[in-house]
Amino acid sequence: MGDIGRAGREGAPPFVVLEGITKRFPGVVANDDVSLELRPGEVHALIGENGAGKSTLMRILYGMYPADSGRIVIRGEEVRIHSPRDAIARGIGMVHQHFVLVDPFTVAENVILGDEGGAVLQHDESERKVKELADTYGFQIDPHATVEDLSVGEEQRVEILKALYRGVEILILDEPTAVLTPAETSDLFENLRRLRADGKSIVFISHKLDEVLEIADRITVLRRGAVVGETTPAATSKAKLAEMMVGRPVLFRLERPEVEIGEPVLRLEDLTGGRLHGLSLDVRAGEIVGVAGVEGNGQRDLADVVMGLRPLESGRILLDGEDLASRSTAEIRNAGLGFVPEDRHEQGLVLGMTLWENLLLGRQDDPPFVKRGILSLRTIKDLARKLVRLFDVRARSVDVTAGALSGGNQQKLILARELETDPKLLLAAQPTRGLDVGAIEFVWSQILEQKAAGRGVLLISAELDEIYALSDRILTLYEGTITGEYPPSAPAEEVGRGMLGDVAVRGVG
Amino acid sequence: MSKLGFAISIAFTYFTIIYLTGLGGLFSERSGIVNIGLEGLMIIGTVTGSFGAYYFGAKLGWGVPAGPLMGLLLGLACGAAFASIHALATVTFKIDHIVSGVVINLVAVGLARFLSTVFFGQATQSDPGQPHLHVISIPLLSSIPAFGRAFQGLSPFVLFPFLVVFPVWWILNRTRWGLRLRSAGENPEATRSLGVAVAPLRWEGVLISGAFAGLAGAFLSVEIVNNWREGQTLGLGFIALAALILSNWNPIRLMGAAFLFGFAQAIPLALRDWPVIRSIPEQFVNMTPYVVTIVVLAGFIGKVRPPAAAGKAYEGTTT
Amino acid sequence: MAITATAPPAAGTGLKTRPEWLESAIGQGLALVLALVIALGLGSIIILLYGENPLDVYGSILRASTTDKDGPAWVLSAATPLIFSALAVSVCFKGGLFNIGVEGQYLVAMVTAAWAALHLGGLLPGPLLMWSVLLFGMLGGMAYAAVPGALKVKTGAHEVVTTIMMNGIAISLVAWALNNSLRYTNAPVGQNVDLRTNIFPANAKVPDLGHLFGYGPAPRLSWLFPLAVFAAAIVWFIVKRMRLGYEARAVGASAGSAQAGGIGIGSVQMKLFLISGALAGLVGMQQILVNNASTSTGGYLPQNYEATLGFTGIAVAFLGQNNPIGIVFAAIFWASLSRGESILPIETDMPREFVIILQGILIMSVVITYTLAKRRLERRQTGRVLAEEEIVAAQSAPALEGTTT
Repeated sequence: MGDIGRAGREGAPPFVVLEGITKRFPGVVANDDVSLELRPGEVHALIGENGAGKSTLMRILYGMYPADSGRIVIRGEEVRIHSPRDAIARGIGMVHQHFVLVDPFTVAENVILGDEGGAVLQHDESERKVKELADTYGFQIDPHATVEDLSVGEEQRVEILKALYRGVEILILDEPTAVLTPAETSDLFENLRRLRADGKSIVFISHKLDEVLEIADRITVLRRGAVVGETTPAATSKAKLAEMMVGRPVLFRLERPEVEIGEPVLRLEDLTGGRLHGLSLDVRAGEIVGVAGVEGNGQRDLADVVMGLRPLESGRILLDGEDLASRSTAEIRNAGLGFVPEDRHEQGLVLGMTLWENLLLGRQDDPPFVKRGILSLRTIKDLARKLVRLFDVRARSVDVTAGALSGGNQQKLILARELETDPKLLLAAQPTRGLDVGAIEFVWSQILEQKAAGRGVLLISAELDEIYALSDRILTLYEGTITGEYPPSAPAEEVGRGMLGDVAVRGVG
Repeated sequence: MSKLGFAISIAFTYFTIIYLTGLGGLFSERSGIVNIGLEGLMIIGTVTGSFGAYYFGAKLGWGVPAGPLMGLLLGLACGAAFASIHALATVTFKIDHIVSGVVINLVAVGLARFLSTVFFGQATQSDPGQPHLHVISIPLLSSIPAFGRAFQGLSPFVLFPFLVVFPVWWILNRTRWGLRLRSAGENPEATRSLGVAVAPLRWEGVLISGAFAGLAGAFLSVEIVNNWREGQTLGLGFIALAALILSNWNPIRLMGAAFLFGFAQAIPLALRDWPVIRSIPEQFVNMTPYVVTIVVLAGFIGKVRPPAAAGKAYEGTTT
Repeated sequence: MAITATAPPAAGTGLKTRPEWLESAIGQGLALVLALVIALGLGSIIILLYGENPLDVYGSILRASTTDKDGPAWVLSAATPLIFSALAVSVCFKGGLFNIGVEGQYLVAMVTAAWAALHLGGLLPGPLLMWSVLLFGMLGGMAYAAVPGALKVKTGAHEVVTTIMMNGIAISLVAWALNNSLRYTNAPVGQNVDLRTNIFPANAKVPDLGHLFGYGPAPRLSWLFPLAVFAAAIVWFIVKRMRLGYEARAVGASAGSAQAGGIGIGSVQMKLFLISGALAGLVGMQQILVNNASTSTGGYLPQNYEATLGFTGIAVAFLGQNNPIGIVFAAIFWASLSRGESILPIETDMPREFVIILQGILIMSVVITYTLAKRRLERRQTGRVLAEEEIVAAQSAPALEGTTT
């Protein structure tokens, strides 16, 4: 498989050659004899499931971890890279998934930090230099602006400028589109194409296959720390890439169970508060309603408001006709809502607590588990063991901490907890974010089972794939309100227009 | 009105102590290390400063100004040395900043007594005969009718804060080191990812905080009391912390906050005879700095924003 | 869809390991031993600089708290306030709150307790007065802790800073009370005495316990000590076995997840502050109801009261790993060292302040070694679980393949 796409730009000698890189963490081989070439003027995509070793490999190249064995050759010379400082000096820059910017500093200050050009700062001079640099590559940015006032896309530009300012020839981007809107993504791709034309070599770490096929010149696939193949967009397809990533063919469309759609379970009427402005929708029994939208249009607030985590200014939240607005989160849960939050660590699990303690969360008022304020450890642990078995949470015992689980297993733990109470409605926000393909399948099948059991599901997702794969009805969310309703047969372009605010309500066929 | 002048001159004294200690806290916290051990660092400054002035000034006969200056220098150096414990604990071993600060304060009391027995053969006060700098009166200002008293008979050291305030501001905002120090306090990950090591910056911030707090303590025992006595810091380290918060971690605003709290300290001492003051129990005047700080923190008036990373251990990979 | 049912047995993955609790206990034990070795080692250097033999010095300290006359009684009575204080700190700490204000809370509690002792003295017979005084102490501590609690819950003001400020205010409040409403009015005529409250009725006193074990009256070992141990047991039960403790730990570890799980964060934090304040309220009782009492009188609150017990409680809480049982032992150990203070100048040439320095070194090394041990343990656990997942996944891969194609 390794020879599929040596099409690349054979003429140019490689900037960087990684040979036989191996890196072990306690108990895990993160990189196993990985070899890779980066050539000038190419976008090289590095893809693989979470934990496949993409980020580890690039962090080794960026000097954040030492490799246990293997060679790094830059322009024909074998080098040792001990720190990011070393890496930068050798022309390697990295933009992390989570930006590392100093919020109260200006753009220029963020860019020059660490390379200030003298013991005394020359603010005007540095702002001029940063401006020049931005203009060279057509980046829209005001060097005098304070970073905390910037949008996510602009912050990413600052990160890239930081690297360019240091004269890097190789730019590593770790999941750069995870936080961007589609418009920002296309801006980013535009900028990347200009950098490529300038002869830079770009490493694009991702697991979004469509984007990889769009931007990459060459694609290297990692699985379980090892390279399983190298190819080009022309020589492969999404399905083939997915298969290489997981090592088996993957079904992207699961079969939807045929269920009779019943009466409305959840009805949201005119919700206003936070980013929501008069949002209304309903979810019926046996129905999965997918809320599609570009992130930042009120998804988080919608989930928080429904769960009672954020105050509502006006509107009604009716679950089986009972108004839950202004109730506490505990009351809302008891009324029959299950919640899979978009941020597992922030709103789902207590990482420092054991699995059984996490499985108790949300049920700490329920009589079999807590009587007169006292925990019934036995009952709780029995339930925990049952759930861990049933949901295939891979852990040695229920006494390990949730923080020691992988992302997929953490999500299984949350699903186990939220589905065990047989909620009337499951609110699932970005339920597969950051999960690998195997875990995504599991989560999807669990959501479909809720439908099969005749319950309602409100699915909030930024991934259109996911919305299409699961939903009976698709709603688009734009600036805090629902702008459209579509059947799953509607073309993606139409839904996309709704996501951008074109109000076009269509009946469901 | 001369009472008010007298009150202001006392306020200047307290201002100097609070300002310098607060400035110490500022360097530490802007680098990302919360320092509630300022009181303890000051205590070390008082006992070592007193010893320095006594030993060099009286015992070795260096007289004035060399003796008192040696005292101030020794207080500064020992404050910094003692702060290295806080730096070691919080920067190198990354333990909780509050715990370390509490321990600093606890140990300082014992260490001061210990040092006192070594220096003076008794645990709770220094030997008499300690020299101080000649007092000065500020020209022009001291001849203002009624208020002139505020500028007479001051230790020349009260001018020190006015000498350092601008350089400190300039260093923090206009130099490479200042930029890096502040970035370490706001987002150490950003600092490190650009190849700048965070730990040395934070060590420097904490050592400077010890130096300033030690200097402030030495000023108290050398220049004001002319003696070391156990417990003479009277919680001024905590008032300095309060002033630092009120200043929003800004060296210029810190001047105002320190003077405000310094004046509050002076009121019961100098203005006791004023009818308004007499009707308020002295203890309630003493609480004002604390009450003001709580009110500000609760957001009832104004808003403060501490350095974003202050108090968080930074877990950078150590390669 | 069959994948939900294909749970492979987690056993037999080939990794042999000890259970988590045992591993963490061993880790903590080793950390403690290491910290002791470091502290005693550094202490030895100081002792050697003084030209003394470390073994002799440590031996003296050990004897003072064990085999010497009344040694254990001295230690236990000194440990009593430290247990209350450290428990107060630890309760808040479970919920992610740092109550630096135990100091101020117990100072104010001494005032409210003194007020109750003086004003209810004529009204309440027998032990009822003592219990009421203790109750008023707890109420005073609770009321004073409620302020930073409410500020935290309502405005988000950080409790570390507000409690530090509240400590400063408390000192002035005590001084004000002693100068005004609780001023000493029954002083013997013509005698110049320190500022203090009037003397409490005799039935405000907490009875002596030491004589039951053959100790003399001097160490002042009272029933407050068993009360402190009982308080530790209650705290243990609340933290480990009750919903409030569970909720507190969840809030402390991840406020967002706790909230999404239906836990009212503000209410939990407020409850913790109140419990903490109640415990803090008992810190000062040893001095005003026991140490200052005599056979015929019930104690008093003097101006030169013993301060900093609240701060020492923080050190003891960390020495005891914020575990209620650990705290009892940590307080006893701390008090044993303190007992050495009085013996050192007599038996050796060391100044008594050496003990405070030794305690300081000890607490620093304990906090450092605990922190390092905990981090190491977490890393190992994470690494191992990931490794297990790999193995399990590898074993189950063929089974999965069949279901999805």
